[in-house]
Amino acid sequence: MLDIKPIFNAIRRSKIGAVLLLLQIALTMAIVSNAAFMINDHVSYLREDTGFPEKEIFSLSVMTFGKDRSLSQQAELDETMIRSLPGVIDASLTQAIPLSGGGSSSSVRLKPSPEKSKSISVPYYYMDEHGLNTFGIKLLEGRNFRPEEIIVGNDFTGNGPNTVIVSQALADALFPDGGALGETVYLKNRPLEIIGIVGTMKSPWPNGMRDKTTAIVPFMDVQNYQHILVRTDKTERANIMANIEQNMLDVYDKRVIINVDGLDKTKENYDSTDVLMMRMLIVLVVILLLVTALGIFGLTQFNISKRTKQIGTRRALGARKSAIVRYFLVENTMVCIAGLLIGGIAAVVLGDVMMKSYSISSLEPEFILGTAVFIFVMSIVAVIFPAMRAANISPSIATRSI
Amino acid sequence: MLTMNNVSKIYQTNSVQTHALRDFSLTVNEGEFIAVTGPSGSGKTTFLNIAGLLEPFTSGQYTLDGVDIGGLSDNETADLRNQKIGYIFQGFNLIPDLNLYENVEVPLRYRGIAAKERKIRIEQCLEQVGLASRAKHLPQQLSGGQQQRVAIARALAGKPRFLLADEPTGNLDSLMARQVMELLEEINKNGATIVMVTHDAELARRAPRNIQVVDGQLADFTLYQGKPTVTATRAEEAVVASGV
Repeated sequence: MLDIKPIFNAIRRSKIGAVLLLLQIALTMAIVSNAAFMINDHVSYLREDTGFPEKEIFSLSVMTFGKDRSLSQQAELDETMIRSLPGVIDASLTQAIPLSGGGSSSSVRLKPSPEKSKSISVPYYYMDEHGLNTFGIKLLEGRNFRPEEIIVGNDFTGNGPNTVIVSQALADALFPDGGALGETVYLKNRPLEIIGIVGTMKSPWPNGMRDKTTAIVPFMDVQNYQHILVRTDKTERANIMANIEQNMLDVYDKRVIINVDGLDKTKENYDSTDVLMMRMLIVLVVILLLVTALGIFGLTQFNISKRTKQIGTRRALGARKSAIVRYFLVENTMVCIAGLLIGGIAAVVLGDVMMKSYSISSLEPEFILGTAVFIFVMSIVAVIFPAMRAANISPSIATRSI
Repeated sequence: MLTMNNVSKIYQTNSVQTHALRDFSLTVNEGEFIAVTGPSGSGKTTFLNIAGLLEPFTSGQYTLDGVDIGGLSDNETADLRNQKIGYIFQGFNLIPDLNLYENVEVPLRYRGIAAKERKIRIEQCLEQVGLASRAKHLPQQLSGGQQQRVAIARALAGKPRFLLADEPTGNLDSLMARQVMELLEEINKNGATIVMVTHDAELARRAPRNIQVVDGQLADFTLYQGKPTVTATRAEEAVVASGV
């Protein structure tokens, strides 16, 4: 017999402790379910394929201060030298390092401006025909750039490229019905024919909203400060990275080689703030759950010490030990369920606010349900031990002065 | 109804042993109304607790309504308390968060009586103690005498064969004490066996049979005849020493 009605009435008549606990459970529910969702979202992101063989790729940045060489010619010499190094698979200049948090992005439209058309913000990489091989990304459809399609210069709109390779995600976003290959799109109002479609190719902002709708544009705008991406045999990368500065300076020494980093390390650096935040969030969730569990434990202990005589009286009136344990479990369950219901609504509202304010995905119902089940089980564990202790209160307490 | 043979109770704390009851023997017949008196610390409450199955005894034999209490499990003891014994406590021991109806209902729920039957019994018992109209009130809304009447209703609701009262009038003024005593006498007339612990000599005098507990032993086993006759030497010494 669960005695729900009298227990409910008793809670109703002496509600301060129960209401405080209910609010704590509701708050925990709202925060933990959203936090759990965010943590899961982030863990999924960390496990997500970037499209790049990160352990095979490294990047370096070149700051040229010498004025006696053509930057574009020097870039070609550098690329040729690097590609000839033992263990190097390919290398390419680029204006943006993938997964680094720094790059270029612009709107890609289906029609030239100012005509109205679908417009998508697209992070892009300027690379030559070695770009795909350097990225280690395979074409799903179409072809790679031809050498003659690579445009070297600085007037993109006036004398820029005519072709583009897009990720599948961008192709799908621009042409949901398919058939993107061969279509013309406009980047900085310049028409570009889609000649190839690749699979996953993450942007320089892998945790951003437009992390997968990316493009490679065959354009080389060589500047004093330039990045080079190098793909190597995985086992050779460390050795090549260790010597690349000297190799570069041997070719031309009026420059500085900096930021020689593996792509995996680059992503790690990019994620470090988020990872720290996630760890803090996990700590917060654990603390919150512990505080709630302690709250439930403490309130039960308090109720037991406050009701010692009452428990003794119940035992004297014929309550078995199991009935006393059941009493506290039912009491906790009622408060807990009410808290979880309110907390569930609060979680949805909080999730909605966060979705609108921080552009994160909407809270999935299974996280609310999972958190509710977890908190409920935790509350049972927090109650069961004090309740068992309460059950051992002697019925003779009923006749003693305490 | 109740038979205790050489029942002893020893409380052990660290190295100190306290003999609360020593070779206590008593027989209570069905339908009797017994008043138990004795000085503070004499073992009255321990006797009542053991008689009411609220605590175990250390040695001896105790039979209640034909059941040997010695070998019962905790659950069997709880069930026996619930089915055969009604308690009236000095401090009433009503549950403050439950109204009168719910308080009287507590032992019936533990017995698993159906809601319909519970309702009939609760209404009958509250009617019997004159509080049917206040069933929805909380205990703190009643006077001490009324609260004790609710406690009596709760004790009666389970239709116990054996009623134990621990100083039932101890917290009441003389008028209310008399009313409660009259109620107990009426209950006894209806067939319930009552054992009442009291300090009140006047109330004890109204019970057909008095026993006195002194120093954990039965001091007098005779019908009350105006003044207690202490027969045990140890008890006599204790009474004289305490100036009672």
